[in-house]
Amino acid sequence: MSERLVTFPHMGEYWIAFETLVLELGATPLVPPRMTKHTLEVGARHSPEFVCVPFKYNLGNFIEALDAGASVIGQAGGGCRFGYYAEVQEAILRDLGYEFEMVNLTSSWSVGEFIADFKRIAPGVSTLRIARAFAIAYRKAKALEAVDDRVRKNVGFESERGAHDRVVGRFHRELRAAGAFRDVARLEERTLAELAALPLAKPERPLRVGVVGELYILMEPFANHSIERRLAEHGVEVHRFVTLTKLIEHGIRHRPHVRALLGEADPWVKYHLGADGTESVAMTWKLMQEGFDGMAHLKPFGCMPEVSAMSVLQRISREHTFPVLFVSYDAQTAETGIRTRIEAFADMLVMRARGRNSA
Amino acid sequence: MRIGLPRALLYHKYHMLWTTFLEECGFTTVVSPPTNRGILERGVSLAVDESCLPMKVLLGHIEALAGRCDAVFVPRQEAFERGEHLCVKFMGAYDIVRNTIPELRLITYDVNADHGVDERRSMIAMARSLGVPARVARRAYVLAEAAQHAHEVELARLQQSVADSPRSDDVRILVVGHSYNLADELIGAPILGYLRTLGAEVVTSDEVDKALARRTGAGMSPTMKWRYNKELLGSVELYRDMVDGIVFVVTFPCGPDSLMAELCARRVTGIPMTTLVLDELAGEAGTRTRLESFVDILRERRRRGHVRAVGA
Repeated sequence: MSERLVTFPHMGEYWIAFETLVLELGATPLVPPRMTKHTLEVGARHSPEFVCVPFKYNLGNFIEALDAGASVIGQAGGGCRFGYYAEVQEAILRDLGYEFEMVNLTSSWSVGEFIADFKRIAPGVSTLRIARAFAIAYRKAKALEAVDDRVRKNVGFESERGAHDRVVGRFHRELRAAGAFRDVARLEERTLAELAALPLAKPERPLRVGVVGELYILMEPFANHSIERRLAEHGVEVHRFVTLTKLIEHGIRHRPHVRALLGEADPWVKYHLGADGTESVAMTWKLMQEGFDGMAHLKPFGCMPEVSAMSVLQRISREHTFPVLFVSYDAQTAETGIRTRIEAFADMLVMRARGRNSA
Repeated sequence: MRIGLPRALLYHKYHMLWTTFLEECGFTTVVSPPTNRGILERGVSLAVDESCLPMKVLLGHIEALAGRCDAVFVPRQEAFERGEHLCVKFMGAYDIVRNTIPELRLITYDVNADHGVDERRSMIAMARSLGVPARVARRAYVLAEAAQHAHEVELARLQQSVADSPRSDDVRILVVGHSYNLADELIGAPILGYLRTLGAEVVTSDEVDKALARRTGAGMSPTMKWRYNKELLGSVELYRDMVDGIVFVVTFPCGPDSLMAELCARRVTGIPMTTLVLDELAGEAGTRTRLESFVDILRERRRRGHVRAVGA
């Protein structure tokens, strides 16, 4: 039998954690080729026309990985259309003639199912080993997020252009190679110290923008046309709260999480809007009260939970004259359009801040 | 107190339950008129651009009720059974309406089996909050539930009558779509009407034993969690041997339907299918041309089938 090569969809730099997970399970990972225009083209060609765009990116990743020899695909799901991706993608790929095994990791949110799914990825693996593999991958994801968070807040103010990227590039390389928990912890600590040592030209009170919306578009810079970076380049401290590990924690503690969000989204939302919709409202309302300068709301075109949230966000924005930049992404979204809108948004924030300071 | 019911979304499925309940509780019910161009245009201008067509229709109906009643009824539904879901627009409908037309008084009840919030208790609680005595509300629910059940049995009987009826010489077409689309005066009705004008016999995914259809749909697609899409998928399987072709009526940009129609086209073979995607700009001429050519194709297939049968 040929070797089992396990692949997964891309999402930001999380491939480092996914690769570790597969390796530690005792299977062989096949990281899908880096996202390119080809990924989206080939994914879109075989997708239903108006399915949300993350479906198309995922399918493109799978096709490119299968062409590179992958034989097992791990896919996740969520509380919207995302929960149905795996089954339809599998049907499409089978019709294209690919032979592979599809493991749907979130067909249910139970520990027993998780373990059974991991055993399908790596047959014969012990439960103890699964727990360790998950824990180290999770720790790596946490490290990625901690570094990413720091970069979002400071990269727009670096005195030497490219300094953050240099540190982060090395961090990614070393994180990939790190084998033990303490290595990951040390690397994270050292990287954060290196980032803290970089010279910044940051005003005492910089512009602050929160980024909310649909999880995949938020976390995949290729799909959102690096919107966080573009915002930062206009002298903005960018804050984002949705991360993979938080999604996992919220998925496990779904009910208390939703209850807490509804408290924060009060009085705008009475019931949970589904997926990340309630969180988009709660965070926008919270950050507005904390004195943030504006929000960016990102979603795939037609993403229903976020469209629901938009009707609330538009009202908050209108009644409190609070700037919210709404961006919708599909397979045709052009980079230049995004750049222009961000520029106009950032200019507006600067003018508002100036008006406030002179008043 | 007069309560307004928008003739949109799940009204088309649960009007028996809702009107019986509200009237037995002593309220007067007012229903918005069948969708017309004016209602749709108002809905389009109120809604977030990217909303799906049925959500735009809902908002148009809500506005049509403003000033004609004391409160508008917008329920919120997440799951009727554990592990099963409705499209998230039903979760958001109440809050969307509330934030789009803030000055309107709304009444609502919540159904979420995953969190133990059931329809009966929720509807009774809603009535009690409006001053209806518990005894009256409980009795109203029993009567309403019975009326709804009788209505659904009747729909299932229609399916059986299709199965039992002899085939005419002309083609028989299954039209698959959400009841809020098929029953809508502006969305589904022109399609059903035009197919009949062309001489086709039409059956719809609504005329089906819903529980059976859900079980059948779940068997065809194990990870599909949407209750109504299970019914649609199940109706395809239950009817496929009784019809010559299948028309999917999908409204733009419906999330669940975009994936379900894709899966259906890949899993159900051997029967012609076509998908009509409708939005607020859809012209009737284009739709008609597509239906005409689809019916022509089915007739041609049927004619050839006859020739083969005679030759055999």
